[in-house]
Amino acid sequence: MMDMDTFQQKWAEQDRKLDVSIRLNRQLLMASNMTYVQSPLRRFAFFQMLEALAGVAVAMMTGQFIYAHWHEPRFVLPAVALHIWVIANVAASVRQAVMAVQIDYAKPIAVIQKQLESLRVLRISVIRWDLLTGQIVWWVPFMIVAFKSFWGVDAYRVFGETFLTVNMLFGLALIPLAIWLSRKFGERMGRSVIVKGLVTAIAGYNLNAAIRSLGTVSEFASEN
Amino acid sequence: MTIPALQDEFQKLIEEHKKILYKVCNSYCRNRDARDDLAQEIIVQLWRSFERFDKRYRFSTWMYRIALNVAISFYRSESTRTRLVISDEEQLVQAVDAPESEPEEIAMLYRFIDGLDPLNKALALLYLDGNTYTEIASVLGISETNAATKINRLKNKMRHEMG
Repeated sequence: MMDMDTFQQKWAEQDRKLDVSIRLNRQLLMASNMTYVQSPLRRFAFFQMLEALAGVAVAMMTGQFIYAHWHEPRFVLPAVALHIWVIANVAASVRQAVMAVQIDYAKPIAVIQKQLESLRVLRISVIRWDLLTGQIVWWVPFMIVAFKSFWGVDAYRVFGETFLTVNMLFGLALIPLAIWLSRKFGERMGRSVIVKGLVTAIAGYNLNAAIRSLGTVSEFASEN
Repeated sequence: MTIPALQDEFQKLIEEHKKILYKVCNSYCRNRDARDDLAQEIIVQLWRSFERFDKRYRFSTWMYRIALNVAISFYRSESTRTRLVISDEEQLVQAVDAPESEPEEIAMLYRFIDGLDPLNKALALLYLDGNTYTEIASVLGISETNAATKINRLKNKMRHEMG
């Protein structure tokens, strides 16, 4: 019967043979280390910062709108909803960028894998809640604020309060409905990678998988 | 140190430790194309971190950390990977002998490693490579006691599966 220690000896014998049998392609090695390839994590952090900057610009506009219509709650309320959503996204983007730049592959495996999985959990959660809540704030509240600030038009008068209220309620009802539909029919919703990605994000499947992976890393690092 | 001098030193060290690259790639990918991609990603990451390498530490420990971290993240990563285009005939690290000529015991070992989760793969590889518990603990970021416990579990698993 062979146990791991016997295998270790066989492995060492094979290792000695590898010294002479492995050929490192020096040309490719030089090409690999001379080519400037931006780290995917750095690129991710860069785009998160760009997103945060765009968010800050939008938050400044909504802030200005709130200030200008402070005594008109019917305009302030949708603007506040939009403002909070944008600020929450700026905070999430900055947090993700900071987490990404802090990842140093030369650190111990348990530390880095935990950081990577935590970043993945955060990213998937943000995408999920952006999809679920974005369809509310970027529809009726955005329409009310945009009509008023760009054209000075009162959306309540143009569309009627009933129409706007029904749309808002429909958006809210869509959150549990979208989660239920994604879980129920997610597997059958076409073969498109994008559709599948959206459906699994809404259903929370990839979030659950990321949380499980994070749990595996934490369990590995624990003493038990 | 100038960039060309740094590159020379880097290439020399990689040449000396090419076995680590070969074994990590072989343990995490048995498919040739994926293995090439992984080898490149490891080299790129090693080069990117090389300036910060503290020479008071062993190069092999540092290389293991980066190579294993990249290998574990390789398939988990959802982001699009940046690929350098390499022709079918060229490989970064290649065994002169065909993989089929691997002794049966080594092939069995790779099959056993294949069945492990990514973190235990790293543990098995470090143990088989003859690293001490202190070195294994340092690469993995766990305590020595924890490393010893996990190695014992691996040994039992191997006995159970291959005995």
